Amino acid sequence: MLTVGDQFPAFDLKAVVGLEKDHEFRRVTSNEYPGQWKVVFFWPKDFTFVCPTEIAEFGRRNGDFKDRDAQVLGVSIDTEYVHLAWRKDHPDLKNLPFPMLSDVKRELSTALGVLHREEGVALRATFIVDPQNVIRYVDVTDLNVGRSVDEVVRVLDALQTDELCPCNWKKGEKTLEAA
Amino acid sequence: MTLEEVRGLIPEPARDIKLNLQAVLAESSLSQAQRWGVAVASAIASRNPTLRRAIVASARREVEAVVIDDAVAAAALMGMNNVYYRFRHLVGKAAYSERPARLRMNRMVKPAGTQVDFELYSLAVSAINGCGTCLEAHERVVTAGGLTEDQVHDAVRIAATVHAAAVALDLAEDERTAA
Repeated sequence: MLTVGDQFPAFDLKAVVGLEKDHEFRRVTSNEYPGQWKVVFFWPKDFTFVCPTEIAEFGRRNGDFKDRDAQVLGVSIDTEYVHLAWRKDHPDLKNLPFPMLSDVKRELSTALGVLHREEGVALRATFIVDPQNVIRYVDVTDLNVGRSVDEVVRVLDALQTDELCPCNWKKGEKTLEAA
Repeated sequence: MTLEEVRGLIPEPARDIKLNLQAVLAESSLSQAQRWGVAVASAIASRNPTLRRAIVASARREVEAVVIDDAVAAAALMGMNNVYYRFRHLVGKAAYSERPARLRMNRMVKPAGTQVDFELYSLAVSAINGCGTCLEAHERVVTAGGLTEDQVHDAVRIAATVHAAAVALDLAEDERTAA
């Protein structure tokens, strides 16, 4: 499994981006959010019980991620058509503000090493990826454990927060360099 | 209200301030952007709404929007950092300076305009808010960044005068309310 410090693998996946007729699908690639952080989270299967709760919660908190220059991407190994059907079927998923990616060839989940060995579906993995495409945080749980979006926001804050003001200058240190 | 009209509200006993305000905003060692950026940041830090609105309106006519954005960011961030770092240096206990601040200040190193101008606005606000370590630190950064002592001095003259104008206008507004 890839971990902190590794480059997040390149991807080019079909995704559901909305329910509007003829605008339901588009390709989402690893290159399209330059300068942004990415929060990529996986769930095992569409139409299961724990999933919509946490996916909907990521949706409700999307503004908090946008405020932190972070793009949320949800992924499972279901096809884009199953994603669409689920979104049409489940009221909490109708207005989801981030793309639901279809890793139907399991290339991304294999590259990351987050496939369940027996079930062949993605584990509940969450990756925070910085603008240089480096993985800065990984969290994986067994199939039926839900996760806390609060915790993901807290970690993102901690990763992004540095005392960058020259006021933090201490005697003997060189002048702070702009990143 | 135009800045000229606002100057007219400054009461007679504070006429020196009225004249200084005109003088410091006219030609100086500072570029047009530096002068108005410092004036806007200082006006925000000085908290008189009439003066703030008039200076922001004048600045909009004189400089690009990014200068005003940076001045707003500097005034807001230093509103936090001046209090926080002043606490650290006045109390002077390692227990506090060794703790991470856990405060976001990312805009400090991502100004819309130039870094050195942003630091100059921060310096002006620090002079108004009265943080010694912040003043030392920002003075060091702007002079290391190529600004001259004349320029630093002119920026602080603007900060001092804008602050005094805000004090005088508060007084004038009180008198009008009482009358």
